[in-house]
Amino acid sequence: MSKKLETAHAGTLESSDAFVRVIPIDAKGIEIELESSVEEIYGDAIRALVLETVTTMGIEGVKLIVQDKGALDYVIKARVQTAILRALGEPEPDWSVL
Amino acid sequence: MSFIFSEVPHTSTVRRQKVKNFLQSVDLEMSEDVEIFVIAKEDDRIVACGGLSGKVLKNIALDESMRGEGLALSLMSELLKVAFREGRHDLFVFTKPDFQEVFESCGFKYIEQSKHQVILMENSYNIDLYKKHLRKYKHTGNVVGSIVMNCNPFTLGHRYLVEQACERSFWVHLFVVKEDASFFKFKDRYKLIYESLEDLKNLTIHEGSDYIISKATFPTYFIKDKAQINSLYTELDLNIFRNHLAPQLGITHRYVGNEPLCVVTNEYNQQMKKLLTAPSEFPPIEVIELGRIEYGGEPISASRVRKLMQENRLEEIAPLVPPPTYALIAKMMSKEEEVQ
Repeated sequence: MSKKLETAHAGTLESSDAFVRVIPIDAKGIEIELESSVEEIYGDAIRALVLETVTTMGIEGVKLIVQDKGALDYVIKARVQTAILRALGEPEPDWSVL
Repeated sequence: MSFIFSEVPHTSTVRRQKVKNFLQSVDLEMSEDVEIFVIAKEDDRIVACGGLSGKVLKNIALDESMRGEGLALSLMSELLKVAFREGRHDLFVFTKPDFQEVFESCGFKYIEQSKHQVILMENSYNIDLYKKHLRKYKHTGNVVGSIVMNCNPFTLGHRYLVEQACERSFWVHLFVVKEDASFFKFKDRYKLIYESLEDLKNLTIHEGSDYIISKATFPTYFIKDKAQINSLYTELDLNIFRNHLAPQLGITHRYVGNEPLCVVTNEYNQQMKKLLTAPSEFPPIEVIELGRIEYGGEPISASRVRKLMQENRLEEIAPLVPPPTYALIAKMMSKEEEVQ
């Protein structure tokens, strides 16, 4: 299922938080651009988490730009979910999916 | 430590003055074209600020005593929120090389620098997309010319310059300044150029972009009434042209009309000759300055046409411009009369 997305963002650049931007792209699939202060140790884990979160929500054709400042897993997940909900313009998430 | 963030819109003169004072205290001059400032206050005292002007972030400053407190990142979060809210997602920032890392941690990437004093960064990869787009139009030959024009509006003088360039080159790339800061809108300028040059076969007309004489690369170009010349910006613009755009198209020459009247443009031309041929890792681009054609003992220029429009002397415009430009001006002027 393909949903119409707008550009959106969530989070801040502050320490222990993540700043997530969602940008619709013409191509299919999910592009992730990550910049993290803990890239060396957790880079791959964060990328996997972002990808999983987006896939679970059934979203395609997006680019996510994530500036991570050492956020914990559930913070990153929440920021990604919020950014996508904003991009979809949906006020209420589908809780059964999350 | 907690800070209170707020916005200062263009209309709030008193609060803007306070921002100006703060900027002066850290040796920065306030840019008049900033639309919205975001400020951080502690105990009713401004300790940081940042401004949004079009898609450019400017005048970003922190009080010395606040550095290293993470305030820079909080300020940038707020500033980005404001910019995104205004629908501006692809942003630029001018800053000093010292602060490159700070902005990198906010998602900005280095594009180009000028004199080791100013760097331009952007938060998208759009310059890469633009370069890729340009490569599609490459024509390989001995002399590949280029022209950058605003054409406000297109005159026979412009036509002469393009004709001359096409005669001397295997191929010519004409870039039309895209910024809508001129009397004639981009859409109209582009259309007139397109219609008046259809007969030239070895020519590609490109829409300009943020990377070629735009408010991002060359803000002072658009405030030339003030006769402000800032060689930092002309250099930035020319460096981007030579190091990023020209190589994609294999450009070897750049043609310009000589400029006896406008100071900013003349300065730009002179600097162009120096910078585009200076030794560097990128191939030099030869600058050819062509004379202007005249009518009635005066050079034909877009500013002359605009002046005649203001003075309502439509008949005198006819010999200066090609038919499509004349038709548009006649239409614009008759509309004005209706209003009056």
